[in-house]
Amino acid sequence: MTNGAATHCPYCALQCAMTLSTPAGLTPASQPGSGPVPEQPAAALADAPLLEVSGRDFPTNRGGLCRKGWTSASLLNHPGRVTEPLLKGADGVHRPIGWDEALDRITGAVKATRARYGADAVGVFGGGGLTNEKAYQLGKFARLALGTSRIDYNGRFCMSSAAAAGMRAFGLDRGLPFPLADLDSASAILMLGSNVAETMPPFVQHLQGARDAGGLMVVDPRRSATAAFTSDGGGLHLQPLPGTDLALLLGLAHVVIHEGLADAGYIAARTAGYDALVRSVASYWPERVQSLTGVPAALIRDTARRLADGSRRGGSYILTGRGVEQHVDGTDTATAAINLALLLGLPGAARSGYGTLTGQGNGQGGREHGQKADQLPGYRKITDPAARAHMAAVWGVPEALIPGPGLPAVQLLKSLGQPDGVRCLFVHGANVAVSAPDANAVIAGLRSLDFLVVCDFFLSETAAEADLILPVTQWAEEEGTLTNLEGRVLRRRRALAPPPGVRSELWIMTRLAEALEAPSTFSEDPETVFEELRLASQGGLADYSGIDYAMLDRGEAAYWPYPAGSTGTPRLFLDSFAHADGRAVFTPVTPRRRASSSASGTASAAAHRAGAGRVGADGAGTAMTLVTGRLMEHYQSGAQTRRVAALAAAQPEARLQIHPAAAAAQGIADGDVVSISNGRGEVSCRAELSTDIRPETVFLPFHFPELESANRLTEAATDPISGMPEFKFSQVWVKPGAATLRADELQKEGAS
Amino acid sequence: MTERIVVVGFGPVAARLVDELLPAVRSGLAHLTVIGEEAEAAYNRVLVADLGVGRTTASALALSDAAALIAEGVDVRLGVRVRRVDRARQQLVLSDGTAPGYDRLVFATGSRPVIPNLTGLNPDPAAPVLPAGVTALRDLRDASVLQAAVAGGKRVVVLGGGVLGLETALAAAEEGATVTVVHNGPHPLGRNIDRGGGAVLAASLRNCGVRVAGNARSTGVEHNAPDGGFSALLLDDGSAIDGDLLVLSCGVRPRTELAEGCGLSTAAGILVDHKLRAHHEPHIFAIGDCAEVRCPDPDCLECRTARGPSGLVGPGWRQAEWLAEYLSLLAAGSPEAELLPALPAELPGVIVLKARGMNMAVAGDVSADPWDEEVLSAGAADGRPRLQIAQWADPEHGRYVKMTTRAGVLEGLVSVGMPRSAAELVQLFERGAELPADRSLLLRLDGPDQAAASGAADPERTVCRCAGVSGTAIASAVSGGCGSVAEVSGATRAGTGCGGCHDDIKGIIETHFQGAVA
Repeated sequence: MTNGAATHCPYCALQCAMTLSTPAGLTPASQPGSGPVPEQPAAALADAPLLEVSGRDFPTNRGGLCRKGWTSASLLNHPGRVTEPLLKGADGVHRPIGWDEALDRITGAVKATRARYGADAVGVFGGGGLTNEKAYQLGKFARLALGTSRIDYNGRFCMSSAAAAGMRAFGLDRGLPFPLADLDSASAILMLGSNVAETMPPFVQHLQGARDAGGLMVVDPRRSATAAFTSDGGGLHLQPLPGTDLALLLGLAHVVIHEGLADAGYIAARTAGYDALVRSVASYWPERVQSLTGVPAALIRDTARRLADGSRRGGSYILTGRGVEQHVDGTDTATAAINLALLLGLPGAARSGYGTLTGQGNGQGGREHGQKADQLPGYRKITDPAARAHMAAVWGVPEALIPGPGLPAVQLLKSLGQPDGVRCLFVHGANVAVSAPDANAVIAGLRSLDFLVVCDFFLSETAAEADLILPVTQWAEEEGTLTNLEGRVLRRRRALAPPPGVRSELWIMTRLAEALEAPSTFSEDPETVFEELRLASQGGLADYSGIDYAMLDRGEAAYWPYPAGSTGTPRLFLDSFAHADGRAVFTPVTPRRRASSSASGTASAAAHRAGAGRVGADGAGTAMTLVTGRLMEHYQSGAQTRRVAALAAAQPEARLQIHPAAAAAQGIADGDVVSISNGRGEVSCRAELSTDIRPETVFLPFHFPELESANRLTEAATDPISGMPEFKFSQVWVKPGAATLRADELQKEGAS
Repeated sequence: MTERIVVVGFGPVAARLVDELLPAVRSGLAHLTVIGEEAEAAYNRVLVADLGVGRTTASALALSDAAALIAEGVDVRLGVRVRRVDRARQQLVLSDGTAPGYDRLVFATGSRPVIPNLTGLNPDPAAPVLPAGVTALRDLRDASVLQAAVAGGKRVVVLGGGVLGLETALAAAEEGATVTVVHNGPHPLGRNIDRGGGAVLAASLRNCGVRVAGNARSTGVEHNAPDGGFSALLLDDGSAIDGDLLVLSCGVRPRTELAEGCGLSTAAGILVDHKLRAHHEPHIFAIGDCAEVRCPDPDCLECRTARGPSGLVGPGWRQAEWLAEYLSLLAAGSPEAELLPALPAELPGVIVLKARGMNMAVAGDVSADPWDEEVLSAGAADGRPRLQIAQWADPEHGRYVKMTTRAGVLEGLVSVGMPRSAAELVQLFERGAELPADRSLLLRLDGPDQAAASGAADPERTVCRCAGVSGTAIASAVSGGCGSVAEVSGATRAGTGCGGCHDDIKGIIETHFQGAVA
């Protein structure tokens, strides 16, 4: 083995450190860069992986990698990889074209759309997996080159609720406001709606201390792999009904207040709004919360006491994940978790805290630098005149040229093909045909577009809908930075030249900006873009101005905010919070009654619940609650991991997790094909019987397409504050399905 | 135009209504007045017993803040009584001499404690003046009386075996008072629980240090304390139960006299229809303890079987939320107001005992026993299935569960001493969900085996979840020469993710070498 590239995993926000080394016989890229690439030996496309992956010691993963990381290199020379621009013909078949023609067609489509419908008819959908450089330049490209306000990204599906809650409580949103390794010495950790044992396995090392102290408390309707860590004295598992996390958190806050467990000195010195909070939780005593959530009152009291006790010993942490955030009240639920943390004096303490676990590889950095409809780089508000003036100066354009706020992701996707909606769409690093809620409607929207451009390295389900597919570089073929779940900026390094015909997205944006005669400057060189990002972020909440490639290459730990001249901020809020008065804000939240007068005719949750569990007389099946989530072997929409042979072999298809008692009521046996349906769509897959799930709830992973696509069932209802869709609470009917699945649908998994 | 909404009463239910109406107040659609008789804004009456035993503070009980509401533009009047309602003029006459008018009037007057007819107690239920050492434990002042007794380690006598009495007794006993519960009938909670559950409940109460005097009929109160206060509760068999404080917990009665005084129909409570409107008076509403939903339609099936006010706060809060939406739509002049579906009828109340030392939940009708053929088949006609009873009794260990079902759906439940079963059964009851055919699944939730991990016996099982390596693969690596976790990791990648399986890998290595020696 030769010296390899020290980089990080292509997948999740834990960004495990890995080394990519070239097996003998192949030469690594001679120098970093993303320009037109040298010819690659034909032998490179042989079956053997082009690179060897090994874990690298780093504070977050300590040399560990999960199966997704180990096998990641097999995608570099996957036979299904797109290596030339592909244009869809009139017959629906994608055929290769040259780059010049591809760029001409895009330019033409953008100009035609703008001329006919206006600039906002062109839209951009970005991704939380894009590097900071790409995310930054994509926002700039949308606003200056396309002149559109219509840009948002798939991070809206992940992080927006926790981000909104963090902003209103602390004045700042950084997923973990403390280094991950600080969890090691905690006495108590409350994890809500996060299954790290499956989603980011190397993370689990940091829970060991709390487990040894008996202080790991996991809130999940399923006995997930993470929840199973609480057995044998490791802690407590709280198994609420789906959609009742907010009430549970109010119950915990109630116990803290009424049992005198709150940190009165901290509340007086560092927070505002305590009295109103007390009033808002007064009506959530544990026995009432038990009735609302199904969690025994004694367990609620025990959890609150252990958290309070832990905060006086090795520290207590409260961590939230998508399970509690992906709801129509997700922002309020994250706020309730923060309120609980504030009552106990955790945020900003030296050894305690609150955090949200960012999911996507660059889910943190991707939400800071201008991909969001309402934001400019540096986590600036697009409506803030000072922020606009700053960006206009950095970009060298008149402020009036920067469009105003656009539409958040779900609304953006709903607008596709609609009058006054988006007619021409760019998709970067996202597979909305599988990952967005109400996926059938999204696919219909994609098909109604005048022109769809998708940048991807595989023919993802979204790319398959595209008029034009642009092949782009994978992680091992590019330079850049990402910001991990703890707000630390990391270097991604190039280990290999990309296949000929593949370009970086920075290159594509630069060429298109030229063709569209965009103002300001665009660059295909990541470091040049990062240098501009530093200036753009300067003075913003997410200030990167003191960070450069050289220091990252020296291995320095750079946690933002990192203003020029500072040494960065590993632990936030030690002295004050980011609001003007330095105090954290309690925002009282309570479960909202679901409007019963809705003109759309959606029945209230109460009515749903009244019917839940009854067997339909007309053979419709059993009404149950669907929650969606992840498997260890797959990442996001599965566009990548379903193409890794080892992962596909381990988890080849979606399986519906269902309790044996619920299955028995319908005569469903393990491995039987079942139908899961509601007004939005139908999923057909095999059943997996498990007592790890509550009897009225079923679970589907959302990594699979077509007939197994869980998001055909989820509703595009969104949180009023964050725009986050409700992935974790859908009403469905479950019944035995057809005897066999259509073989052609199942075989799509491994192919292409 | 701004609609004038006046709320009479400022308890927990009124507080929820006021909160939910705030958007309409902010937008100028409604002018809201709330009138409270007590000097404090709404607080959580449900927790008064907790306050009385020193488990919480008065400030933590607050549900509303008068100053904050006034800042929002709400007209808050505390310490003011409504003398009468002048329906003809649509105005109220208040004790402070003012006469605010209304377009919509909401009664949220709640209920008052029932004062039993005992020698030595003022029999006037409308204006009770209780002697020293006797309290009905309804408001903050009552709580401070109890608090003094508990703090002083005094003897507390609780008259009444209802849920509030039991909660008070348990809390006071746990905090150090000597407590006796006096109730009539063979067991406490006589109106709600069946015989088996009641017997286990009484035993559990005794285990928690509460004395229970059953089948007791009280006749009078003795005042021989040094300060002339309460000294003993007298029973009809001539015996007396000595104590320093008597807590009356004999139920509550809706406060309807204002409504009666202005000619509205009342039964147990103020009669309202499914939209919470007083009969034949669309401008007046009632919610919470004072309201009785029973519509004027004699053919309404729902109302024929309706029970009176439940005395529980949950239904009141749901009514408040619904009414706020309705009133807001009315104030906005929205045509959607009349399209708003009526609030669904409440299920029979669920009682979950608020206590630290023991666990009990009861709901619905639980009177039938497994072998009561007549009772079980009584309602079964026209294809309606008969009742089924499943029961588990272990009085020795304080455990008892009864599930009364029809077509697999709970119509009643009792659970004593089984917290997880109780939580699950209450859920199933409230959702009307079908129980698993094997009812014993619901009994096993509290078993110690529930938390145990699955067996480690299967060699094919995945040992390292992160890298997806089976026990067989690790064993073959060990057979192939790997003698340490690091070597196994190098060969199989097992243990390279979270590291949680290192002990399992060690175990496989040890097993292998033990086998080699043997």
